[in-house]
Amino acid sequence: MTFLGMPLLRSKHAHSDLPGGQGNIVEAEAFPEASQQHLSNQQLRNNIGHATSTIRSKRAEVVSELDDWERLRDAGEATKNEVMENLPEYLAQFEAAFTAAGGIIHWARDADEANAIVTELVEDNAPVLESGRREVIKVKSMATQEIGLNEHLEAEGIDAFETDLAELIVQLGDDKPSHILVPAIHRNRDEIREIFMDKMPDAGQLTNEPAVLAEAARKHLRHKFLTTKVAISGANFGIAETGTLGVVESEGNGRMCLTLPETLITVMGIEKLLPRFADLEVFLQLLPRSSTGERMNPYTSFWTGKFEGDGPQNVHLVLLDNGRTRALADEHGRTALNCIRCSACMNVCPVYERTGGHAYGSTYPGPIGAILSPLLTGVEDEANGSLPYASSLCGACYDVCPVKINIPEILVHLRGEDVKANHSPVSSQLDAALTGASWMMSDGKRMTAAEKGLPLAHKVTGGEQINDLPGIAGAWTSSRDIPALPEKSFRQLWAEEEADGSDEKGQR
Amino acid sequence: MTDTAREEILARINEALGRRGGGEYVSSTVRTTSASAAPANADDVDTTDGPAATEATAADSGYHHEGAHTGEDLVDLLIDRLVDYKANVHRASGDPGETIAELIGDHSSVVVPRGLDETWLAGFSGDVRVDSPGEELSVDELDAQGAVVTASAVAIAQTGTIVLDGSSTSGRRAITLVPDHHVCIVRTGDIVDIVPEGIARLDAHAPLTFISGPSATSDIELSRVEGVHGPRTLDVIILEA
Repeated sequence: MTFLGMPLLRSKHAHSDLPGGQGNIVEAEAFPEASQQHLSNQQLRNNIGHATSTIRSKRAEVVSELDDWERLRDAGEATKNEVMENLPEYLAQFEAAFTAAGGIIHWARDADEANAIVTELVEDNAPVLESGRREVIKVKSMATQEIGLNEHLEAEGIDAFETDLAELIVQLGDDKPSHILVPAIHRNRDEIREIFMDKMPDAGQLTNEPAVLAEAARKHLRHKFLTTKVAISGANFGIAETGTLGVVESEGNGRMCLTLPETLITVMGIEKLLPRFADLEVFLQLLPRSSTGERMNPYTSFWTGKFEGDGPQNVHLVLLDNGRTRALADEHGRTALNCIRCSACMNVCPVYERTGGHAYGSTYPGPIGAILSPLLTGVEDEANGSLPYASSLCGACYDVCPVKINIPEILVHLRGEDVKANHSPVSSQLDAALTGASWMMSDGKRMTAAEKGLPLAHKVTGGEQINDLPGIAGAWTSSRDIPALPEKSFRQLWAEEEADGSDEKGQR
Repeated sequence: MTDTAREEILARINEALGRRGGGEYVSSTVRTTSASAAPANADDVDTTDGPAATEATAADSGYHHEGAHTGEDLVDLLIDRLVDYKANVHRASGDPGETIAELIGDHSSVVVPRGLDETWLAGFSGDVRVDSPGEELSVDELDAQGAVVTASAVAIAQTGTIVLDGSSTSGRRAITLVPDHHVCIVRTGDIVDIVPEGIARLDAHAPLTFISGPSATSDIELSRVEGVHGPRTLDVIILEA
């Protein structure tokens, strides 16, 4: 087991704060346990290792083409900070502009409220088919994944068809997404072929070539695109100045959903705003290069309300809180809301690469998920309180983040919050040991006195390394060995050196 | 119900930001980290022409606003990037009609937006369907077209990106989406070097589609494969003009 240095003592503390989010952002069990089963899955580790190393080199190559990359990151960071500091003003401005352009805005405090709003809109606009059910097509969206929209709609008699290839693989395989950009990153081409052969009755005989599998997806969804009346999307950006929404994609399934249906329902977190249309000049450079490692993704669509004679004439937007205001209230953690969902942090993370995304339990896995999920729910949700420990704090995530979110710093901050909220304030063995160590080490004389015990300790342990300490210290030795104790301390050796070699020192 | 949600979310944000002042959700002082200003009060929002001036630029950290390529270098860069993302590139000067006729010669019917220069299709022997307001082709009709021929608003060389803006020569969005073959004319005068120059030329209030190569996916083992739901063939004609 990977020992994450997690405190083991837990006690429940009531926390009165802004309400946390609900939905698919909660770990069912703590990360160390949740990651166990995935770590032993060799196929999964091979698939993820292959995919993340591919994308890492693609990203590095296209980022190196821009000599102003660091300045673009600075601009991205400053712009998102500006949004958070003025969020009420920008939301009001966005609302006015989107409404003036013929769109309709709905506000949702949490997942339940958002799901209810979308359900009502679908019931009002999608016909009941012969099967007795309604249908909608969907563009890949993290927000709707977060609120568990598909499951909710299914129970309400509405079938939601995912149209992104990876989402389709996940949906047909009755699986869960494991990566925010490539939800089926844990599947290789052979597994995808099997799922398609099994779940697409008309597909016929398929090979495992990606081009063949992509073609099968095209045929499978074509009729749905051309006939479905209602589409549901997320949004990568909302422009406060103009009321414009944007979706960045690759396959054209986004364009299909945003263009052909009569009704378009978009679900967007309140933090997705950018102040000005001109800000896209920064974010349309940062996002594709960080995300798919392309200079630009194949398709990006922008729409502002409705356009006469072009595209959906019934255009809705659900603005979602679901714990975002709670995250905003944490002044040391709020920059996690600056995330533009590129997934670069996942692709460089040594922990993610080994456990895969499912171990994080939440819609948001990897380094960003390890801070965002507990920020949205609050760390006093104990299983999410374990997520900030799912890191070696190596800092690779911070280096690649296009908006410079200092993920390691927030991880450490949240570990502190977890200790405050979930772990006993009563003085433990560890506390007593640390208090004693602090008393001893803060005074040179006490330290010298303690070191006099070394020769004895060396003898007692027989000069062997220590593998098994008693009491709470046993948690340390459960996954580490302590090297053999020396006969003399460094300070003792140094004092002897000083006494013997004062002449040599003078010659230096 | 929704109004209550709105007020509550805005109140939560004010609380989260540590702002005082009861139910008032809009502060009179706007804290900005960049030089440009946000609206001071939501009531002041002029929806016809946003208060944060359209000229306002993003937080300026000294990134490039203009590229260094000009003339033939600029065209060469665009071609290089288009080809890299598997678009087919052709060049024409004056009249692209001959090139268009060659590219769509195998189709029996194509669609064009109403503003496209009709002489460009003179060399094509099949049907030319013109999509115009009040006489839009249905989705099924579009699905029956072998190709679509349009012009474009801007092309960004550095990223190999072509932007359609819903104008009478770019066409409404569906016509460049449903047919499986898109022939797109880019005028050399519409080519810019880098993304900021491209954004500066666009109108946010138009339906905008950025196209960089034909439809593609990286969803299987993160290898890029061309050809999913959008047009699987993208022919770009660079027109000296």
